[in-house]
This record gives sequence, structure tokens and C-alpha cells, in this order.
Amino acid sequence: MSNTEAANSMDDELARLVHACAARDRQALRKLYDLMAGQMLASLVRILKRRALAEEALQDVFVSIWQRAAQFESGRGPARIWLMAIARHRAIDVLRSERVELYRDADVEQIPEPAMEGVGDWSSAGRSAAALARCFEELSGEQRRGIELAFVNGYSHADIARVTGEPLGTIKSWIRRGLASLRQCLET
Amino acid sequence: MKHDQPELIDALASEYVLGTLRGAARRRFERWLSAEWHIASRVRTWEGRLIPLALGLPPITPSQGVWERIEERIRTADIPPAATSRPRAARPALRALAAVLVLCAIFAGGYVAWRMTESLRLQTVATIKGAQGSVVWSIQLDAHRERLRAVALAGAAASPGHSFELWALPAGKGAPVSLGVLPARGQFERTLTVAQRAALASAAQVAVSLEPPGGSPTGAPTGPVLFVAPLKQA
Repeated sequence: MSNTEAANSMDDELARLVHACAARDRQALRKLYDLMAGQMLASLVRILKRRALAEEALQDVFVSIWQRAAQFESGRGPARIWLMAIARHRAIDVLRSERVELYRDADVEQIPEPAMEGVGDWSSAGRSAAALARCFEELSGEQRRGIELAFVNGYSHADIARVTGEPLGTIKSWIRRGLASLRQCLET
Repeated sequence: MKHDQPELIDALASEYVLGTLRGAARRRFERWLSAEWHIASRVRTWEGRLIPLALGLPPITPSQGVWERIEERIRTADIPPAATSRPRAARPALRALAAVLVLCAIFAGGYVAWRMTESLRLQTVATIKGAQGSVVWSIQLDAHRERLRAVALAGAAASPGHSFELWALPAGKGAPVSLGVLPARGQFERTLTVAQRAALASAAQVAVSLEPPGGSPTGAPTGPVLFVAPLKQA
């Protein structure tokens, strides 16, 4: 089975489980947890920096999946994207509501430098991921780094300016141009 | 915020999904997002593009006890409040008060529901029919022509890898204006933008085109036009 086929059958299974959650099947939520919690927690830890905060957010994510399962429409895209989007929105909400600055000074030093090789094997995420990997390669190093720090680590423009030592305006333009190039590349 | 600039909408949607749209701008975009389906479809497109970035991280196994807390929370969330209290132990006076409150709630609820149905009463303005004359979608508007509901009926086949998009076709030479992606099943209801309302006011027909998932990336129809139906004016 190719990686793309494996990703598709995984998405079919996830979609089936989300529909079962909508029908109030708690076993299905448990199976979703077994399949997705590890990947979600990795993303939440990267954004929220603190394990305890990330695990609390992970609880909120699964309660939210349970409550919103009926809104999922399999025709609108892969289930994995829908599930991960819930996790990411929760992480950004937590970032917004946390009054303390989550990653100042010392914290930043503990975060591994993001790099493509650090992001791991995208091919398991299917065809869209393979296309993204290819288009990502076409970006300039700065654009790639800006997008990665923002998306994977949850950094704001100002955070990225601080860790890279570049002016805020430069960061905004890296990201704006990077997203525009990604869009153009992914649409062709 | 301009509602009819596809490139601006796309740029905002991308920074929203990326997470760099923050503060008041993010809140404003979220309000806009919840009201308009074409913006939601741009956000979904960007989620599909960027989320694979987050899927490549090595998984981290959650601590023991996280699942148990989730299970506990969904158990409490699923029990209706009445089942957790003990009505039999309540004193008669409390029960009488509860009965009065319930009656008030029923009347208030009924009044609110009546007001809402009055203001949201929708009428069918276009019926999109398939080749054999079967009704595929029913397009409905409220009396003020501010809310649009699209109901998918039998025959609206979900086409894998594609979306159906609804357009207002202005009389004369005006360009079609998107009214959003049509549901493959069930129904959607959305508030129309000023531009969409203006387009509908001058349109004599609506059309449905076949587009990439999430709708046309350009703001104009890109795929074949599958259906055209007359639009009933107010």
C-alpha cells in the first residue's frame, strides 16, 4: 500500500469514527484518541511549550470533538485535517487567554530549532502533504523559517522578529510572500 | 473590511490559519467567518494546505489519566441537568416555584421562537433541477433578502474532489457573484454580504458551477456551469 493510499484509508477510518461519535459511541471517541492524541499533543506542546497546559488543552480538544462530531461532513475534506484544526484552534485560544507570556527568554532556548528535517516524514500524511513538502522546498529559506515558526511553534510576528533578530516589517513580508508563493505553487 | 476582494480574503484566511492573525483582527475575522460561508471555505482550503506541516511532528504519548479526565467530562456533559438533581427531595414550595419558572420559560421561549420565525421566514426563490427534472437544490431567501438557505434534495450527488458553487448572474454584462459553495447534502444557511445582496437584487438567474473543493479559488467561476435557474424577484 502506498503512503497516499495508507493516508486515505486512515482518513476513512477517522471519518467513520467521527460519525460514530455523532451517534454517541464512546468507544469510537476512545479509538480516535488512540489514533490522534499523540499527534495532537505533539502539536499542542510545540505551541503551548508547557506539557501540563498542552494536556489540559488536549482534554478540551476531545470534549470539543465529542460535542461537534455532528458538524463534521466527510465530503469537505480529510477527517485528519478537521481534527487537527480543532486542536490548533484550541492551542491558539489558550495562547490568547494566557495572560502570562508563554515563551520569553529562557523558554525559547529550550525549544528545538525548527527545520524541515525536524518536522519529520510528511509522506505519511498523504498526497496533500507531499505537494506541500514540494512547494515548501521552493520557498526561500527565510520564508520557510517564518512560516514554520508561526505555524508549528505558534509564534506571533513579534516572537519571530525576536528569535531571528530581524525587524518586524521584514518578518511580515517573509510570511506574506511565503504564503502567496505557497498558494500559487499548490494551485498549479 | 472589504467583503468582495477575494485576494484580501484569501490573505486574511491564510494568516488566520497560520496563527499570525492575532488580537482584535483575529476576533473580527472570526465574527466574519462565522457569518459567511465563502470565507469559511477559504479557511478550510488553507487548513488543508498547512495542517500537514503539523502532522509531521513525532507523536508524544499523553500522560496516564488524560483519557480518564476526558471520559469523566463527556459523561457529565451528556447527562441532562434534571437527572443529576433529585427532584423528589425538593420541598413543595420549591416545586411550585419551579413549575412557575418552567411555565414562564415556555411562554418566553414560544414568543422568541415566534418572533424568530416571523423575521426568518424563508421563501423559495430558485429551484435548481437536474437533467430528468428532479429537484437538486432549493434556494431560499428571507423577506429582507439578507439570509440565504440552500437545501440539497434527492439527486445532489457529492462529486469527489469537487464542490458545487452557486452564483448570482447579474442582468446585462456584470460578472457572476459567488453566493457560496452548495451543500452536497443537508442544508446551509448564511448571511449574505452587501455585495451578494446587490448582485441578487439585479440578477434574473442563478447558476451552479463545478469547482475545486471549497469553491473557486479566483472569485469567478472556473469550472463548467452545470445548472442555470431563473431567480424569482421580491
